[in-house]
Amino acid sequence: MARPGNKIIQAKLVLLGDMGTGKTSIALRFVKGHFFPNQEPTIGAAFFTQILSLSEATVKFDIWDTAGQERYHSLAPMYYRGAAAAIVVYDISSVDTFVRAKKWVQELQTHGNQKSVMALVANKSDLEPKREVEAEVGEQFAQENGMFYMETSAKTAENINELFYEIAKRLARALPPKPTGMNLNSDIQDRGRNYFCCSA
Amino acid sequence: MKSNKTVNPLITFEHKRDAYGFTVRPQHLQRYREYANIYKEEEEERSDRWNSFLDRQAESSELATDGLVVGEGEKVLGDEAAGQEADTSSEKGVDGHEASNQVPGGSDSAAENGSQKEEVPPAEETKVHRVQLWTDIRSSLRTIEDMMSVRVKKKTGSVKDEQIIEAAKSPSHSDDVKSPKGAAFEEDSEEEFYDVERSDPSPDMPVVDGTNASANGITADAAPPEASFPWKEELEVLVRGGVPMALRGELWQAFVGVKARRVEKYYQDLLASENDSEIKTDQQSMESTDSNGKTGADFGCMPEKWKGVKGQIEKDLPRTFPGHPALDEDGRNALRRLLTAYARHNPSVGYCQAMNFFAGLLLLLMPEENAFWTLMGILDDYFDGYYSEEMIESQVDQLVFEELVRERFPKLANHLDYLGVQVAWVTGPWFLSIFVNMLPWESVLRVWDVLLFEGNRVMLFRTAVALMELYGPALVTTKDAGDAVTLLQSLAGSTFDSSQLVLTACMGYQNINETRLQQLRNKHRPAVIASIEERSKGLKAWKDSQGLASKLADMQVLGNLSRTESGSTNADEILISLTGEGEIDAVPDLQEQVVCLKVELCRLLEEKRSAILRAEELETALMEMVKQDNRRQLSAKVEQLDEEVAQLRQALADKQEQETAMLQVLMRVEQEQKVTEDARRFAEQDAAAQRYAAQVLQEKYEEATAALAEMEKRAVMAESMLEATLQYQSGQVKVLQSPRSSQSDSPVSRNNQEPDIPARRISLLSRPFGLGWRDRNKGKPTNEEPAEGNPSVEEQNTISEQDVNGLKVQDESRKEVSA
Repeated sequence: MARPGNKIIQAKLVLLGDMGTGKTSIALRFVKGHFFPNQEPTIGAAFFTQILSLSEATVKFDIWDTAGQERYHSLAPMYYRGAAAAIVVYDISSVDTFVRAKKWVQELQTHGNQKSVMALVANKSDLEPKREVEAEVGEQFAQENGMFYMETSAKTAENINELFYEIAKRLARALPPKPTGMNLNSDIQDRGRNYFCCSA
Repeated sequence: MKSNKTVNPLITFEHKRDAYGFTVRPQHLQRYREYANIYKEEEEERSDRWNSFLDRQAESSELATDGLVVGEGEKVLGDEAAGQEADTSSEKGVDGHEASNQVPGGSDSAAENGSQKEEVPPAEETKVHRVQLWTDIRSSLRTIEDMMSVRVKKKTGSVKDEQIIEAAKSPSHSDDVKSPKGAAFEEDSEEEFYDVERSDPSPDMPVVDGTNASANGITADAAPPEASFPWKEELEVLVRGGVPMALRGELWQAFVGVKARRVEKYYQDLLASENDSEIKTDQQSMESTDSNGKTGADFGCMPEKWKGVKGQIEKDLPRTFPGHPALDEDGRNALRRLLTAYARHNPSVGYCQAMNFFAGLLLLLMPEENAFWTLMGILDDYFDGYYSEEMIESQVDQLVFEELVRERFPKLANHLDYLGVQVAWVTGPWFLSIFVNMLPWESVLRVWDVLLFEGNRVMLFRTAVALMELYGPALVTTKDAGDAVTLLQSLAGSTFDSSQLVLTACMGYQNINETRLQQLRNKHRPAVIASIEERSKGLKAWKDSQGLASKLADMQVLGNLSRTESGSTNADEILISLTGEGEIDAVPDLQEQVVCLKVELCRLLEEKRSAILRAEELETALMEMVKQDNRRQLSAKVEQLDEEVAQLRQALADKQEQETAMLQVLMRVEQEQKVTEDARRFAEQDAAAQRYAAQVLQEKYEEATAALAEMEKRAVMAESMLEATLQYQSGQVKVLQSPRSSQSDSPVSRNNQEPDIPARRISLLSRPFGLGWRDRNKGKPTNEEPAEGNPSVEEQNTISEQDVNGLKVQDESRKEVSA
């Protein structure tokens, strides 16, 4: 899949958001093309991998899909620490989930990777009749916080692939041009460097 | 709930669902089919073993029961329960619909009966209600239940102590809860109510504990001491081998000690308060004045939180084992009641995702109220502190498990560190879900059998370590974090050999026990608590920023006030037109207000900057801590590697020494080989020489034999010569006496011819003969002339003989020389 001379980027990506907003459904739709109306709640976190080929680079995503219930909040740092990209998800038919999404953004800005690519995702766009959060509100919040905004529907697969392609492009753009593979997981980088230094 | 039981046997095996009705994922379908027959055979063996055990148990229990009046009482109660079941089944067959309608009425009658004596038989309606929700387990399992109930009593005592500690900690909890909220007055008032609600459980607990204690007391009196359970070890072996499907629900209840935990009407009261709240929302004030005032007060005090919990439960109902035939509308309603009742029972936990799976699983195996008490035992005792707001015990367990992995599988741990994988990423969800939806269902149930029997989380750790043992070799071959995690999850999800997993876990890790785990937990808990507090500080910083926003809002309010004042200023101006002094006074007030506002603004900005700086410092400290952690790990690795290098060098030196010694030995061996070869050559030469000597000796022997033959011939000839000589001498004597001289001459000539040949042959004998002849001649002087003539002939013979002898001697000497 990787072309000769092409960059290979391995990126840790974390999905955050309130329970029932569709985090797992987004991941499943992207990785396996599946959608289950009654997707079982995620306990702790689930893991998915998928590879995207762009013209300028090949990106391998390590996707951590975290549990959305608020009490699992104390476990989230274990998963978002060192992530190259973060997707904060809310449900357009529920204002509470948007409030929770804003809190996640605040936490990521305080404790997360400052240089990560961040996306604010308004999911369940197929529930337009029940919309409670206007697109302009989400878009404005995203701009104010240095994120890009996208409306998606895991059910109809609208904008799901586009979301991950956009993240991949931004990751490729953020990297200095190097022919060899590069890991964006800072933990790996730090450990790798230390390992090499010590072994030298 | 019995309708669910009825549905269970009717489950038709679908190609995508297993024997329990759970979905089999497509990638595991083929493997499950391979194991389906194995499971069936194992199930039959299991049932046989358990049935024989229970039969023997029944015999021994009968013997034990003979000596106990209480035991007989229990038998009677069991019979009554059976009778009630019979009545209920018949009634339910007739009036299924009415039974459901009678649920509220049943609760009312139950409340009324609370004042009556226990001995009084309950009303018919109460029968329907109670039996519909609760069923005693079969009598053959009673003794097991009694044994396990002793443990419940002990644990209840420890739970009390923990609750006291929790009560002491409640202020800190309230502080933590306060920090994420703003400083609005409404929130303050809610916090006050929240504190009140926090304090409410403390008086409730002693009442409940007292009831449990009294119940446990009765059970303790009834139950014989553990010494009279000689079959406990056999039971443990059976449990590790798996509990039969038909007995699993009842045995799980026995293991958890459901009967000892149960308080009659407790579950119904929890549900009754829910029903009342639903039906009579407007009458909350009336509820507060009732005997259930506390429950009503709880609901009234925390409407938002309760709605949140209820909403979460409602969201997760259709997402619990979706499509499972037993969780139809009735099943889902039971699940809602069960989770709601538990949330009311334990407000500090409420509802946590994962509980829906536990509750759903239990509802598939037992009646609703039985499931409630089992769920309570699991969450309050086995997993205390796991699903609370901060999940402290869950995080502690992950640190403990990581230490165990590093101790047991250092290579695997190093490899995962190198890849940047944290074990807890994968094992955290394992523990929180108790492997539900993480392992195949047969394996999940086998693990739960042991876990519920043992009464603690030891089996959780052993199972996880066993999975690391089984799949560690494969993980060590992975080359990046994603592959490692994907492989581990995939392999775990395909662990269909449940017997291998459980036996590896139970038999292979005896030293992972409750005592050791407690020690490790005490070691790691402070770090978890510290990190949580640090995170809450971060939240405080965030709160400060929010506080800033609220203060800015207050400034806007002040702005409005200033506008109002400006209005009043206009009024003053009107007055000023009347009086000049008033106008002068107004201007300084506005200026002062502006100055004050500016000062406040500067202060707020400074606070914001300090908060930001604090956050940055914390982040920097965190990064440094992470680096330090890495450095420590790396330095430890370096030390280990140095030690390994030293060991390898020593080993190399030893091997070199061995090699030198081996070389020396080899040299010696080669020399010995050379010597041996030389010796062999010499031996060959000696052999050849000996052969030659043997040949020579053989020749000599042959020659000697030939010589001997010749000697014999000569001896014979010599004898004949001697005879001839004697005859000749006698002839000469006759010639001298008689005149016939011519006749005597002719025999002499004949004799002359013959003696030549014998003379050669008898050369050795001729010498003594010759000497004898000379002596005779000397004796006769008259015969001197003929005597001189004879010696000349003899001398010639002697010379010829000597020549012959000389030749022989020379031959012999030559032979000797050659030899």
